[in-house]
Amino acid sequence: MNQKITFRSGGFHLLSLITGMMFLCSSLAYSQIKGKVTDSTGDPLVGVSVAIKGTTKGTQTDVGGNYSIDAANNTVLVFSFVGYETKEALVSDQKNINISLGLDDKLLSEVVVVGYGSQLKKSVTGSVQSIGAREIKDIPVSQIGQKLQGQLAGVQINQTTGRPGEGMNIRIRGQLSVAAGSDPLYVIDGFPITGNIGDLNPDEIEDISILKDASSTSLYGSRAANGVVLITTKKGKAGSSVSFNVFTGIQEVPVKGRVKMLNAEEFAQFKKEFYEDAKQPVPAEFQNPSIYRDKDNDWYGALLRRAPLQSYNLSLSNNTSKSRTSIVAGVFNQKGVVLNNEYIRYSFRMNSEYNISDKVKIGFNVAPQFVYDDTPRTDGDRGTGILFNALHTWPVMPIYDDKGELTLFNRFPASTGNIFAYPNWLRAANELVNETTNTNLISNGYLEYKPIKNLTLKSTFNVELFRSKFFFFNPSTATSAINVAIPTTAASIRENVENLTWLNENLATYAKSFNNHNIEVLAGFSNQKFTQESTRLQADTYADDRLPTVQGAININRGGTNSGVQEWALTSVLSRLTYDYKGKYLMTASIRRDGSSRFGSANRWGTFPSVSAGWVLSDESFLKNSNKISFAKIRASYGIIGNNNIGNYTSYALINNTVNAVFGNTVSPGSVVTSLDNSNLGWETTKQFDFGVDLGLLNDRITLVYDYYRKLTSNLLYSVQIAQESGFSNFNDNIGEIRFWGHEVALNTKNTIGKFKWGTNANISFNRNKVIALADGIDRVYGTFHITKVGYPFGQFYGHISQGMYQNAEDLKNSPQVPGRSTVGSIKLTDQNGDGIITNGGDNDDRVIMGNPFPKFIYGITNNFSYGNWDANIVGSGSFGNELLVRHIYSTANLDGVFNMVEGVKNRFRSEANPGLGMYGTTVGGGNVTGIERDWMNSRFVADASFFTIKNVTVGYTIPKANKVFKSARVYTSIQQLMVFTKYWGGPNPETSAQSNGQGDGGNLSPGVDLSNYPVPRTFTVGVNLNF
Amino acid sequence: MKKIILTVLLVFTGLVSCKEDFLSVIPETSLSSAIFFNKEADFQQAVNGAYVPLRSIYNDRNWLLCEMHSDNTYYSRNILFGATEQQEDIADFSVPEAKGLTANVHVLNQYRLDYQIIARANQVLALIDGVQFDAVRKNNIKGQAQYLRAFAYFQLVQLFGKVPMHTEPVKDREGSTKPLSTSDQLYAQIIKDATEAIAGLLPKTTQEPGRATKGAAQMLLANVYMVQKKWAQAEALLKEIVASGHYSLMPSYVDAFTTTSGNKNNKESVFEVQYQEGANGLQGNFMYSFLSRPMSPAELTPLAGTSNPQPLTGEGNNTPTPDVIAAYETGDLRKDASVGYVTLSGSLRSNKVYPYIKKFVRPHSLHNNHGMNWPVYRYSEVLLFLAEAQMEQNKLADAAANLNLVRTRAGLANTTATSQTALRDQIYQDRRSELAFENKRWLDLVRTGKAIETITAYGNRVKANPLDYYYPEGATTRSNAFTNIQLLYALPDVESSLTPHF
Repeated sequence: MNQKITFRSGGFHLLSLITGMMFLCSSLAYSQIKGKVTDSTGDPLVGVSVAIKGTTKGTQTDVGGNYSIDAANNTVLVFSFVGYETKEALVSDQKNINISLGLDDKLLSEVVVVGYGSQLKKSVTGSVQSIGAREIKDIPVSQIGQKLQGQLAGVQINQTTGRPGEGMNIRIRGQLSVAAGSDPLYVIDGFPITGNIGDLNPDEIEDISILKDASSTSLYGSRAANGVVLITTKKGKAGSSVSFNVFTGIQEVPVKGRVKMLNAEEFAQFKKEFYEDAKQPVPAEFQNPSIYRDKDNDWYGALLRRAPLQSYNLSLSNNTSKSRTSIVAGVFNQKGVVLNNEYIRYSFRMNSEYNISDKVKIGFNVAPQFVYDDTPRTDGDRGTGILFNALHTWPVMPIYDDKGELTLFNRFPASTGNIFAYPNWLRAANELVNETTNTNLISNGYLEYKPIKNLTLKSTFNVELFRSKFFFFNPSTATSAINVAIPTTAASIRENVENLTWLNENLATYAKSFNNHNIEVLAGFSNQKFTQESTRLQADTYADDRLPTVQGAININRGGTNSGVQEWALTSVLSRLTYDYKGKYLMTASIRRDGSSRFGSANRWGTFPSVSAGWVLSDESFLKNSNKISFAKIRASYGIIGNNNIGNYTSYALINNTVNAVFGNTVSPGSVVTSLDNSNLGWETTKQFDFGVDLGLLNDRITLVYDYYRKLTSNLLYSVQIAQESGFSNFNDNIGEIRFWGHEVALNTKNTIGKFKWGTNANISFNRNKVIALADGIDRVYGTFHITKVGYPFGQFYGHISQGMYQNAEDLKNSPQVPGRSTVGSIKLTDQNGDGIITNGGDNDDRVIMGNPFPKFIYGITNNFSYGNWDANIVGSGSFGNELLVRHIYSTANLDGVFNMVEGVKNRFRSEANPGLGMYGTTVGGGNVTGIERDWMNSRFVADASFFTIKNVTVGYTIPKANKVFKSARVYTSIQQLMVFTKYWGGPNPETSAQSNGQGDGGNLSPGVDLSNYPVPRTFTVGVNLNF
Repeated sequence: MKKIILTVLLVFTGLVSCKEDFLSVIPETSLSSAIFFNKEADFQQAVNGAYVPLRSIYNDRNWLLCEMHSDNTYYSRNILFGATEQQEDIADFSVPEAKGLTANVHVLNQYRLDYQIIARANQVLALIDGVQFDAVRKNNIKGQAQYLRAFAYFQLVQLFGKVPMHTEPVKDREGSTKPLSTSDQLYAQIIKDATEAIAGLLPKTTQEPGRATKGAAQMLLANVYMVQKKWAQAEALLKEIVASGHYSLMPSYVDAFTTTSGNKNNKESVFEVQYQEGANGLQGNFMYSFLSRPMSPAELTPLAGTSNPQPLTGEGNNTPTPDVIAAYETGDLRKDASVGYVTLSGSLRSNKVYPYIKKFVRPHSLHNNHGMNWPVYRYSEVLLFLAEAQMEQNKLADAAANLNLVRTRAGLANTTATSQTALRDQIYQDRRSELAFENKRWLDLVRTGKAIETITAYGNRVKANPLDYYYPEGATTRSNAFTNIQLLYALPDVESSLTPHF
C-alpha cells in the first residue's frame, strides 16, 4: 500500500520533472542521510517508508522515528505512511533531513483493489470495502474470517462452530439461495479459488477487498451473485526486512452460556416423580435421589479442557531494482478445547516479481500448505455428535468406574425407562480417529508486457492443487453414536480427494488521458477447468482394532465404497470501460460472458453487464472551499450477475445402476432413472441496484460511507417437488424470485489526535429479503421446521404456537385438542384455522410462522487507542432481532425421561395445584401425550439469539529502544471472545447454526438451527512482533 | 510494434478456440438416460429395478395397511415410547382424514412405492419395442413389467379406489400429474396388463426362480376376478394353474415359508418378495418390527439366533390378537407354526407373555438383517380361491375337495359343511388360519363385505378389554380409537398438494 501511494499520489509531477532534470546534470555522490520523521505534534512516527524516488531502494523508520539511507545527491526521498500525507525531499549536501508528516487530508487518494485491477478509492463507483492487514493484525486467530468479524458493513460473518479451522459463515448483503451455494467467491491474487479460505494463513494477506454491488462484481459474471472477496497477498516492500511474529494462547469454554442440564440428583428426582405421577412403582435406582448427591457426572463438561495454541510466522521482504520478493512461512498449532482435538497448519508463500526490461515483467507466486486436523466427531446430525450426545447422557451414569477407568458404556435396567445405551463419549473423543490431512498448492505465473505506451498485456496461468486424505476409524471399544452397545462393530472410512483447477487469463488494458478526460479500457478472456477425483473405502467388522487397514476388515461396505469424478469448465470473455472527466464525473461499464458446462445444453451462455456512475461533489466549486466537508461523492450502479453453484451435472437425467434386485439367492443388477433431465437449466440471475454516498468531514476526521441496495434474484435453482405418481420426487428447474434490500453505514472517526489517539470504526447493516415467487402452483416449500413462503422472508421457523398447558379438565374440555392425545397438563397449541382440533401438517394444518432466523440488523464497532508506546484495540460484533431454533430440546426436554434434560423441566406441569411455568407439560401418558410438545415443532423451541460479543481486546507495547539485533519490537496481549452479551438460552454460541449442504437441518431452506455444535472458546494470548 | 500486438492477440485468440468441446462435460460416474435403454441388458436391469420397491412395501408398509389394520394383529402398547401414533392410527382405525385426504405417512409411502414400480415398468414398456432382440426374452421382460404394473395398480385400487393412472413415462413437470381414474378404468388396465403378462411370461419351470411367472400372472388376474366376483373367470384361471402341474403344497405347513437363505421359491410358492441377508442392502427386518418390546438381548437370542443381538426398544407391532389365536380350530397344525410366545421381563404389564408371528421368525446371523422372503401368493391360496370360486357357483363338491387339500395338510379333518353358506364360512375361516399375517385379512374383509361389522365388533372388544390387547395395567385406548372405520384409505395429502387433480 505504501508503495502505491508513493507512486500514485498526484500533484508532484512538476517536482519530479525538475528533479529528473537536475539529476542529469549533477554528479553521482552517495552519502548517508539520517533523519527523524515525526507527526505534526512532534511525536516520532514508526514504520514510515523512506524510499528513493524512481528506484526500489528504501527503508523504514525505527521506533524512534529515525532512519538512515544511502542516497546520491539530487535524488528525491519519498516519505510515506498510511493515514498521513506523503512528502518528498531533495537530497543535496545536507546530512540530516527531518520531516514532519501531517495527517493525510486526502485519505481517498488511497488505492483499492478491485476486480481485474486497482483503482483510486476516490474514483470507485461501485460498492467496495477494503481492509488492510495492518488494521486487523492485532487479532491473533487462525482464520481470516475471524479477523473480519464486526469490521465490514453489509457482511454477516458468523462463527457457527468452534472447530479449529472451520465454521466461518460469510454472507454478503444477506445473499441466499434455495439450493445453490451462498458463499461469496474468493479470489486470491486474481485467481478465483474453488476451495474455502478457512485454512489460509492470515499472515500472508496484505489486503482484502469485499465487492458488494453488481458494478464491482459483474466482471466475475456467473459466479458473482454472492459477492466477491478479493484477497491480495504480501508483495515485496521497499528495502529489505525480516520479521518474526509469534503468539501463544490458552483457550477455554466459559461455564456461563452452557446449556443448564439436570445434575444426577435432580435427574433421579425427576425419574422418581415420573413414576409417582404415573402411579407406577418407582424403580429401586431412583427411590432415593439423594444417593446421587456427590456422584454427579457432567458429561458435557468432561469433554472440554483448557487447550493451548501457538503461531509462528517468519516473513521476509526484499526489494531490489529488478525484483521484488516476499516470503511468509508459518506454523500454527491449536489444540482444541474438546479432548484430543488438534489442528496444525504449515504454510509457506513466496511471491516474486522480476523486471526483465522496462516493458516486460514476470511474476511467480507459490503457496504450498499442509493442514492436519484431528477432531473428534463433535458436530453432526442428531445422535452422532459427541457434544450433543453428552448433553443427553444420564448424569447418574458414571464416567469413570470404581478403578478410575473410563466406563465402556452405560445402560440402566429397562425397568428404569433406559431405552438407549450410552457409550462413554470420552472414549469416543480419545479412541476414535477422525483425521483429515490437506495438502494445498496455489501457484500462479504471469507475464506482463507493455508493447506501447498506455497498453498493458498480461497473461496469467494459475493452478490450484488440493489433496485431502480423510481417515475415520471407530474401534470396537468406542463410538460417537448414541444407542450403540460396546463392543460395537469396528468400522473405518478412508477418503481421498484430489482437485485440480487451472485458469488461464489474458488481459489487455489501455489507459489514456487527454484534456481532462481519462479513459481506461480492459478486455480479456479466460478459461478455467476443475477436476475432482475421489475414492472412498468404507469397511467394517475388524478382527483387531490395532489393524484398521482395509485388509483387516471382514466386510467391505458396498454402499459406502465408491469413486467419483466431478468436472466443470468455464469459458469467459470480459471487458470494462472506465471513464472520468477531471476525476469528478465518473463512469464505469463492464460486461462478462460466461459459458459454463454446468448449464443445460440449450442454455449454455450467460451475459452479465453492469453500469455505474459517480459524482465527486466536493470537487465542485460550491463545496471546494467548505471547511466542514472535505470529501463528498454520490454514486449509483446497476447490473446483472449470476450464481452458477447449481451442481455439475444437474441438467442431466441420471441412471442409478445399483438399485439391485435379488432372485432366489442371486443378486441381479438393477437400474432406474433417478432424475429428469432439463436441457434449459441455467444460472440464477441477480439484478442489483446500489446507491451510495461517501462523505469526509472535518478534514476527513470523520468519514462515512452509506449504501442502499436492492436486488432481485430470479431463476433460482430449485429441485421442484413434483407429485410422486410420476415416479420422481423432484424436477430441477429455475424458478421463483427473491427480493433483497438493505442499508449499510460505515463510520470512521478520529476522536482524538495528538499524543493520545483514539479512533473508532463502526458499521451497521440492515438486510431484508422477501420471497416474491416460487414455481407455478407452488407458494411454499418446507424445510425441516421451516417454511419459505411467497410474500414472507425466506426460511422462517414454522410450527405451532404454544399457549402453555391445559390447566384442568375444564380447560381441556373447552379448548381445541389433539384428538386421542391431549390430556390435562399436556401442551395447549393454538387452533389457527378454528376447526376445533389441532392438526399437524396436511390441509388442516395449524402451524404458522413463529420465528425469523434473520437479524433486524447487524453491527460492529472497533476502537483503536494509542498513547506513546502503548496501543490498544477493542472489536465488538453484534446482531439484533434474529432467532434460533433450539433443536436439541426436541430430545433434551423429552419428558419420557429417556435422556438427560434441561434444568427447566423441573418446573413442568405436575398437577392442577402444581402447574409449573407453562414451558414443559406433564410426563403422564408417555409418548402419546408428551410426543406432541416434543415432536410437533412449536414456539417453545424458538429463542431470541440477539447478541453482542466482544470479539477481541488487545493491548500492545512497543519497546522504545531498539537494540542491535532488531529494528523494532512489540509485545501484546489479547483476549478473544471476551464476553458474549445475549439472552440466548439454547447453548453457548448464539452465532451457531447447523451446517449442511443438503436439505436437512442447516440446509438452505432450514437456517438457524442449534444442534449443539463445538463451542467457541475464550482465548487469552500473548504475542511478540520482531522486525529485523 | 503493431505486428507484435497482432501476434500476441493471435496467440491469445488461438488459446480460446474449441469452446463447445471444452464446455461439454458429461457425467463420468453416473450413466445418463441418453446412453441407456439401447440394448437387452439395459432392459433386463431396468425391469430388475422395478421389483425393488416391493422389498420396502412388504418389509415396512403393507402389513400395517392390510394386517394390523384388521382384527388379526394389534400393537403392543409401550407407554414409555412415543412417536408411534402413525401406526397406532392404522391399527386403531383412527387414521385422521379430512376432505378425503390423510397425513398418515404409511399411507403416503405405500402410495409412493407403488408408483415407483409403475414408473419403472412404464420406462421399460415405452422403450423396449424400439430395440431388437430375441422375442421370447423380450416378451418375458415385458411380461414382468406388465405384471408389476398390474400388481401395483391392483394394490392401489384396493386400498384407495380412485388413483391417477400413468401408463407412459413422465418426461417433465407438466406431465407429472394425471386426473383420478375410476376403479373401472384402473381394473380395465390391470386386466389388460395381467392378460398380456400371462401371454409373455415364462412358466415357473423355465423362469429364473423369484421372478414373476405365467402362474403368478394368472393368480394375480384370478385375484382381480375374485374381487370383482367374476367367479367363472377366476375358476378357469385357477384351474389352469392347478393343471400346469408346476405347483403343489409343501408336505408341512412350516416349510411353506422360507428360512433366511433356504426353502425359497419352493414348489408351493407362486410369487414371493425376495430378500437376502447380508451387506448388499437387500435384506429385510420385518421380523424385528413384529416383536413386542422392550426386549432384552437374552430374550431375543432364542428367536433371532444372532450372535450380536441388541435390545429392542420402542413399540412392537403386528402382535397376534386373541381373536386370531382363538380362530384356529382345535388341532390345527398351523396355529403352532404361526404363533409363538415370548416373555418380556421389561414389560410394564403384569402378564409379561406376548404372542408373536412365528412363521416369520427364523434364525439368522446379522442383527436386524435377515433374508426370509415374503409370501405374496402361495399354492394353498390358489386352492382356497378355487374352492371359493366354485362354492360361489354352487359347485360344492369340487369346492370342498379343494378346501380339504388345504385342511388335510393342516392336520384337520375334511370339512363337514354341506350348504353353500356353511361352506362359505368354512372357506373364510380357513383363509384366515391358512393365510394369517400374510396381509390378506383386511382385503378379505372388504372383499367379502364383512369389514365394517367385523371391525366395529372388534373395536368394541379392544376398548372394553385393553388389557387383553397388550395395554399395560391402567392404560386405556386412545379417545379416537375405532372412530374412522372406512373401506378405503384416504389419499395422501402430501401428494394432493402437488397435483391439481385431487
